[in-house]
Amino acid sequence: MMWLSGGFVFRRGTSRYHRLDPRVKLLISVLMFVTTLIVRSLYELAFVLAFMVAVAAVATVLRRVLRTMMLTALFSAFIFAVNFIVTGNLEMSLLYSLRFVAIVVSTSLFFITTSPDELEQVMKTFRLPRDVVFAFVTAVRFIPVMLLDTIQIMDAQKSRGLELEKGNIFRRVRNMIPILIPLVVNSVVRSGELAEAMESRAYGAVPQPTSLVEYRSSLADKAVAAAAVVTFALVAYSFYYVLPVHFP
Amino acid sequence: MSDILEVKGLSFRYPDSTRRAVADFDLSVPQGEIVVLAGPSGCGKSTLLRAVNGLVPHMYSGEYGGEVKVGGVAVKDSSMRDLAQRVGFLFQNPENQIFMFTVERDVAFGLENLGVPREEMRTRVDEAMRLLDISDLAQRAPHELSDGQKQRVALAGVLAMRPQLVILDEPTSLLDPKTAAELVALVARLRRELGTTFVVVEHRLDLLVKVADRLVVMNEGRKVMEGTPRDVLFRDEAESYGVAVPAITQVQKMLAKDRLVPTSGLMTPAELAAAVGGGSR
Ligand SMILES: Nc1ncnc2c1ncn2[C@@H]1O[C@H](COP(=O)(O)OP(=O)(O)OP(=O)(O)O)[C@@H](O)[C@H]1O
Ligand SMILES: [Mg+2]
Repeated sequence: MMWLSGGFVFRRGTSRYHRLDPRVKLLISVLMFVTTLIVRSLYELAFVLAFMVAVAAVATVLRRVLRTMMLTALFSAFIFAVNFIVTGNLEMSLLYSLRFVAIVVSTSLFFITTSPDELEQVMKTFRLPRDVVFAFVTAVRFIPVMLLDTIQIMDAQKSRGLELEKGNIFRRVRNMIPILIPLVVNSVVRSGELAEAMESRAYGAVPQPTSLVEYRSSLADKAVAAAAVVTFALVAYSFYYVLPVHFP
Repeated sequence: MSDILEVKGLSFRYPDSTRRAVADFDLSVPQGEIVVLAGPSGCGKSTLLRAVNGLVPHMYSGEYGGEVKVGGVAVKDSSMRDLAQRVGFLFQNPENQIFMFTVERDVAFGLENLGVPREEMRTRVDEAMRLLDISDLAQRAPHELSDGQKQRVALAGVLAMRPQLVILDEPTSLLDPKTAAELVALVARLRRELGTTFVVVEHRLDLLVKVADRLVVMNEGRKVMEGTPRDVLFRDEAESYGVAVPAITQVQKMLAKDRLVPTSGLMTPAELAAAVGGGSR
């Protein structure tokens, strides 16, 4: 849970990176992601990870990203162990486990610097149907509300004598039922009320709704996007034609 | 003056119910009035409001009889799109009517849905936020707002559509007393400044009767009492319908019986004290 919120939940920031067009941030993350997939040696991977750390520093989220790296590394120790036992190849096992870390970090960099509003904008550029975008928007919008709901229900049930931390694993799962039922009921009531409020505010009235805020790519956004693509091309080229490869 | 809202012989029964939620209901509301609707739980207040903004019968189908007209046009024959612009509905729980991640985007939600051009939308959103004194919250996320602020944001979203009629369903029930009083003052101010008509379902009558022109009491789907708040609250039957007669009115009623204070107009605690103090001197 901690790992998830630290690594993937947006927090407001004012860095230049935060202010980039969300589509450019997505492009950068996707390119970094692809780069980690075409990496063939530990040297190359080290370079990619260093690049990500640099991006994190520019985006003023270095500490969060380093923490995500550490926590993911703990998990990827498992990937390392399995690989090493199966193949006996130290360098390759290390490569695979660290590659997982890089993949998580490239994704995390996008999500922690992109507000839900911007995510919506990105979805709109992909021309996803309005209903799909709106379903996503409400889902994200109600995450904090549902969390609060859960905490309140847990407190209420605990004060009625429910013991969540007692017993074996089956007992504990069963203990969750008094939490889950009110939570589901709340959500059903909530979605009914949401539907009423949506209708009352003309949801779906016209096929092409307008938007209060306009996201326009500035010249700087375009320059950053171009630089990202060029960097990617150069890096990919040198991986395949310049740098030596240590193992197949 | 023409009536903005006309309800004539309205009846409605939900499909899986044996009893009518609203039965043979009549109500006329002239432009610019504040009407308060009270009555015991389950008597059909929310259903009546739904019939005013079109959720009944457009979203809730069922056995529908009689007629509801807003601005002279029958609700049954209007589209939700059209009704959304003429009737604003503020629901009980502000949390469940805020959709977007920032206050200003949420205030714009209805206008975006209607396809209002961006420049006009900007003007109307800024105006609504200014009116409700939430301009400084424009970039806040919903979870960063207090309950009272959420209620204001939801109301701003309703007012941005510039409705002629605003209906509120128990708007103060989730608010603390001070915030509730502020909301009531806000309703009075909006009526004064914009001439908006309000129909308010409310249990907390102590706050609302001071600004209301009329009090309507409902029971089992029917209208059982109607009049100025003073008329209704002074009648003994009001309490039998579960209307929470404000304590101060109960005192005034007792004193009026002994002719210690006049029965004209509802008195504030200060006025009552002055009247009683003056009489004994
Ligand atoms: N969606 C629905 N489907 C079926 N029956 C409903 C529905 N909503 C309300 N009812 C029933 O209609 C009747 C009137 O309900 P309504 O919600 O209008 O009352 P109310 O006066 O607003 O009550 P409260 O003060 O508790 O909000 C009740 O008997 C209720 O059970
Ligand atoms: Mg109700």
